[in-house]
Amino acid sequence: MANGCPDSMKNVLNLFFEPQGVAVVGSLREGYFGGYVVIKTMLNAGFTGKIYPVNPSYQEIHGLKVFPSIQQIPDRIDLALIMINRRTVPTVMRECVAKEIKAVIVVADGFAERDEEGAELQKEIVKIGREAGIRILGPNTAGVVNSANGFIPDPYEPGYKKVKPGAVAICAQTGMINPQAFPYADLHYGVSKICDYGNKCDVDECDLLEYLEGDSATKVITMYLEGIQDGQRFLNISKRVTPKKPVLILKSGRTKEGAKVSASHTGALAGDDQIFSAACKQSGILRIETFRQFFELPKIFSLQPLPKGNRLGIVTFTGGVGVLAIDEGTQYGLTVAKLSPEIGNRLDNIFPGLGKTVVDIGPPMAVNNYMTIYSEILQTVMLDQNIDCLFNVIWTSPFEAFVDEYLKLYSSLQRDDQKTIATWVYGPSLPLIRKLSNGLEDLGFPVFSDLETAIQALGMAYQYSTWKKGEK
Amino acid sequence: MMGKLSIYDQVKKEGRFILTEFESKKILKQAGIPVVETKLAKSQQEAIAISQKIGFPVALKIVSPDVIHKTDSGGVRLSLQSVAEVKKAYDEILRKVKKEYPKALIHGVSIQKMLPIGTEVIIGVSKDPQFGPVIMFGLGGIFVELLKDVSFRVIPVERNDAREMIKEIKGFPLLEGYRGKSPSDISSLVNLILKLSRFIEGNPQIKELELNPILAYPKRVVAVDARIILEEDQEKTKS
Repeated sequence: MANGCPDSMKNVLNLFFEPQGVAVVGSLREGYFGGYVVIKTMLNAGFTGKIYPVNPSYQEIHGLKVFPSIQQIPDRIDLALIMINRRTVPTVMRECVAKEIKAVIVVADGFAERDEEGAELQKEIVKIGREAGIRILGPNTAGVVNSANGFIPDPYEPGYKKVKPGAVAICAQTGMINPQAFPYADLHYGVSKICDYGNKCDVDECDLLEYLEGDSATKVITMYLEGIQDGQRFLNISKRVTPKKPVLILKSGRTKEGAKVSASHTGALAGDDQIFSAACKQSGILRIETFRQFFELPKIFSLQPLPKGNRLGIVTFTGGVGVLAIDEGTQYGLTVAKLSPEIGNRLDNIFPGLGKTVVDIGPPMAVNNYMTIYSEILQTVMLDQNIDCLFNVIWTSPFEAFVDEYLKLYSSLQRDDQKTIATWVYGPSLPLIRKLSNGLEDLGFPVFSDLETAIQALGMAYQYSTWKKGEK
Repeated sequence: MMGKLSIYDQVKKEGRFILTEFESKKILKQAGIPVVETKLAKSQQEAIAISQKIGFPVALKIVSPDVIHKTDSGGVRLSLQSVAEVKKAYDEILRKVKKEYPKALIHGVSIQKMLPIGTEVIIGVSKDPQFGPVIMFGLGGIFVELLKDVSFRVIPVERNDAREMIKEIKGFPLLEGYRGKSPSDISSLVNLILKLSRFIEGNPQIKELELNPILAYPKRVVAVDARIILEEDQEKTKS
């Protein structure tokens, strides 16, 4: 929608995430894809709205009454989920018009992304939607997720029931973010909303940013973009959203392929990537570069307070990790925190030589009551007023008892909102690494899959906090 | 305002989309952008009179919509010190250009004052298919051509954006006064970027614009050469 988004439209976008009545139009044959799966997934997730399967060949599915057509549903329908052959989609869209449905997710594929015919069909459904005031998500989409009400109309079998409620909103022009593609449950990854907007024939990145701006469950937005429909609108909305919530964007098309033939230096040098970077700088968008950052960096914003400054404290088992962390942190404007003399002395009293800039706990590890000493060290470091953000490296050990001790220690840190903490967990056992990482994230401490990503998270949080201060 | 309209209208009437340097500067001057004083001479006598009035040394340049590469065709003469030199240069420019472009429509020869050496800066505007008009900043010469050391912002820019885009280029220390060179007037560059941003906002018919070079001095900045290219596609001229 190029002409801005009136308030009534925002309410309509609400229907995509909080529908009271949902019509599922599509195959109800048991399998790995389709209406059968969508309904099962929503029931498993405890969806609080009403589900109306639509199919002329069935009477009942998953204990729900099946209606032969949309028109024959007696109740009000907020949202229709269409997952049928592309050629039938316009017909069903017209039925939605008659039923006064205002939101439609077209899961079906084979539209503009496939061929001429698909492009024509897409134009047709957009036309039907515009004329009737129906908002369309898709086509060619794996749909949305709302963790709060169990609305997970996933056309694919996820294999797990619930997505953990959290504060990260994830949007992408790809199905790679849907619950079937990413192990949200196994990672204890907390999500507010997920939205795959597919071919974005109608609802686009701008509409989603506006919707998420007002979504109280969302604290941070992470988005994968291939192209932007309306650059000026995108810029204006971003400028409004970023002071309230950090927006992280991964954008493809970073090569210089698009360099144009031009009569001036300006035209010749203005590659798509430079311009998008400029737009990010002007609007406070945090530009990210990898799929790993896309999923991991938002956690620092959803779980931790913003850093009050750029002084980075490091607790590590090896000096090498400390040096690498400093190298990475420098790129984001972080500097190594100098421990205050008092904290330095206290650490030296716990173990000789410990009170250094990078707190290297390798040597005390050999001590018998290691876990007691470790708790004391971390709690002491946390008291240092010279540290704004803390990079903590944890070694799980091969023993489960250690993992439980670490979790106990971190729960004691929960009251401290003076420092931003990023943790990296390593050790000899993958199940123990997972157990500790999941436990820490449940406590509100983000864990990152390697040291660079952990530091990038702190760096990005620092950059966002300075940008936000400058905005005020 | 009337003058501004009439240049665009005149250009359109002639079926052109590229403005001459003289036309471009006139429009920019009206928009409050600092450009070097440039006068149009239609005869040798006029060229001499203007040169005497603005004071030597002066530069002479061919003014013709058909001559895009002024220097290559012998249409530019710099650092002319006297009436005799201007007289000779005027003849030579016309002779060479007529030989190179026999059918060229010639508006005359422009005369401008030669300015002292300053730090060369380039500021340009082009249109991005997704974001619309964007503005570019860089240092002139090899910095832009070879090293591509430039920064961009999407129009409209705010004061903070303008300041940041200047600081963003790698060559920024040169503007601050590198190795005893006097520092350039950065706040005037910021103002120039802001004025240009507003000017472009009000003139969607402009497709590309380039001020190259702009000479930056300790207390002022001034554009020495300018080029404006208009949209051919009328659809794109709506703001």
